Amino acid sequence: MSQVLSVLDVVKHYGKVKAVDGVSFQVAAGRITGLLGRNGAGKTTTLRMITGVLHPDRGRVELFGAGVAEARDRLGYLPEERGLYRKMRVLDHLLFLAEIKGRSPAAMRPSAERWLRRFELWEKRDGKVEELSKGNQQKVQLAGALLFDPELVILDEPGSGLDPVNVVLVRRLLQELAAEGKAILLSTHQMGEAEKLCDEIVLVHDGKVVKAGPLAEVRASGGRDAVHLEFEGEAAFLAQLPGVGSARIDTNRAELRLEAGADAQEVLAAAVGRLRILRFEVVAPSLEEVFLEAVGGAPAEVAA
Amino acid sequence: MRKLWAVLKREYRETVRKPSFLVMTVLAPFLLAALMVVPALLAVKGMGERRVAILDGTGRLGGIAAVLESPEGKAPFARGAGAGRGGTPAGKIAPEYVNLFAVDPKNAVGPYLARLASEGTPKDQLLDGVLLVPADAFERPITSLTYFSRSAVDLLAQESLGRVVNRLLQRERLSARGLEPSEVELLLAPLPVRTVQVTKSGQERTGGEGNFLVAMVFMALLFIPSLVYGQEVMRGVIQEKTDRVVEILVSSMTPMELLSGKILGMAAVGLTQIAVWMTMAGLLLGSGLSQAQAAGLDLSAVLRPVVAIWFVVFFVLSYLVTVGAYAAGGSIVSSEKEAQQVLTPVMIVFMVPWFLMMPILTSPDSNLSVVLSLVPIYTPMTMFIRILVSEPPAWQVALSLVLSVATIAFLLKATAKIFRAGLLATGKRPTIPELWRWLKEA
Repeated sequence: MSQVLSVLDVVKHYGKVKAVDGVSFQVAAGRITGLLGRNGAGKTTTLRMITGVLHPDRGRVELFGAGVAEARDRLGYLPEERGLYRKMRVLDHLLFLAEIKGRSPAAMRPSAERWLRRFELWEKRDGKVEELSKGNQQKVQLAGALLFDPELVILDEPGSGLDPVNVVLVRRLLQELAAEGKAILLSTHQMGEAEKLCDEIVLVHDGKVVKAGPLAEVRASGGRDAVHLEFEGEAAFLAQLPGVGSARIDTNRAELRLEAGADAQEVLAAAVGRLRILRFEVVAPSLEEVFLEAVGGAPAEVAA
Repeated sequence: MRKLWAVLKREYRETVRKPSFLVMTVLAPFLLAALMVVPALLAVKGMGERRVAILDGTGRLGGIAAVLESPEGKAPFARGAGAGRGGTPAGKIAPEYVNLFAVDPKNAVGPYLARLASEGTPKDQLLDGVLLVPADAFERPITSLTYFSRSAVDLLAQESLGRVVNRLLQRERLSARGLEPSEVELLLAPLPVRTVQVTKSGQERTGGEGNFLVAMVFMALLFIPSLVYGQEVMRGVIQEKTDRVVEILVSSMTPMELLSGKILGMAAVGLTQIAVWMTMAGLLLGSGLSQAQAAGLDLSAVLRPVVAIWFVVFFVLSYLVTVGAYAAGGSIVSSEKEAQQVLTPVMIVFMVPWFLMMPILTSPDSNLSVVLSLVPIYTPMTMFIRILVSEPPAWQVALSLVLSVATIAFLLKATAKIFRAGLLATGKRPTIPELWRWLKEA
């Protein structure tokens, strides 16, 4: 697995505010890496330093073993705040986006047309960008980031503003690109989406990386498993069982968080004697739980 | 270079495709012509068919109506702008001669003055002016003519009448000394002044009057496209920021490539426009040159081929300086509304050579002209005007070229830096210290 992108201890201040504070991580070819964190955690600033929009105050970014400026033509970028020339025609715009990546527009025309067909924008190719719906403008922007066949694709909040159908379309597309061997780095604050999509996770909080690694490892690092129960009977005693850290018990459902080192089997054994068990499930904590545990925040803040 | 080219091409194509470009290119010359000619025409038109009562206390000016009809009687201004020599009588005065010889003017003038008032006077009786020639006009040199008029600034009629009456008085006075009419004419014949410019290289050029007109047209050509497309570039820069396109652009190229591409693209637009205008002017001149020559304007002296070459050189330079400054402005502000506030002072700063056009044209080698032609942002425009009407020393021309190029390079560099730093700073305009920091940092 070859490293395509290395972010090495980058720091960025905005005036007195430290937006990014010593972030390091790597992105490999053929993998989808998710940069996760709340709004304002420093995700966009980090991506802007990778794409060369901002210069880091300290640290450096290596793309394909070179500096950002040398390798920028091998990188496709979908910024968080989508930006297109409103008055330009769709196909012209795509060709322009390829041309500023150093490709000849004539050579890129077939590719641009292929993407327009794939995104069902073929009929609109001669219309102006401003005549498109917002979702379609997003697709044009995405096509612009992909049509010149970049080896590294960087997407800032790719799901924002898309309807559920398009979210699935983009998810499939990214998986396909990764399977072709491209490196993909995306940022998102939607943990659920990241869990479905990402191979690698980089959790950032307050400008620092709090956890990083393959998805399974990051989830496992939460350590404590969760036990979901469905039952018939009086279940208040579950909260008092040894090894149970916290419990939420409803009429016939309970969610237990186990303390470190506790065995779920003992909980099951204790419960079997006193309740009629309909379902018993041991699950790894969700990314969201891991994240909350790592940063010590309340769930309500994540939703924001 | 390829990316710069991509930006240049896009700017050019998108601008030229806009309907406003077509309108501007086709209509601007007419608008400009209208702007210069219409006020002159209106001024002349305003005095068309002026009914003036001439109350002659001497009783010896009976011939005045005939003189007013002759070319001699026409207002000189009307002759130049409106009609060409011997053309239609613009600014005609319709005299109503009244012999008041041996009549006491105190009583006789009253009814004519009453006819100046528009109320209560039938339309065909209404007078625009009343000229009173006192009875002692021939005897006493210190007397004066009195002109009554509704308007305080009826200058053209006043001047024209005064001149004609004075001419008649001179004739009569000379005749009274026993001179023959032919001798009188000879004595009074005015001589026209022919301007000959002696250049430093010893050549003699005539037709200096045309310089003024041509210089004005050239200055307008240097100014208007720069200002129009300067604003266009500024608007484009602001729009890229507000539409966030800039993030994609800056992630793909250096700000320098981006700005150079934009500005050169706009320069290409401007040159296209100038080329269209030149062609239009060429077609017009083809038929108009002979007319201009007939009107006494020898334009060939000013429209030398070398002027065309200098024009293109200085057009490009002045264009790039102006547009570069506008781009810098656009990179600082964050909205078009805000830009309007910044725009006005910038415009005034750039208009200085325009305001000083008269002193520069009349004395192109004065200290003022020399200094202004070597001040960075003014040098392209002022130097071109000096070349047009004079022969500035070669070292000054060379210095002007060097200064222009340096200014452009500086503006581009500064703008590129501010551009990157100001990219994400939307909302509030940076303070001067902040700007300074951006310039040093980026």
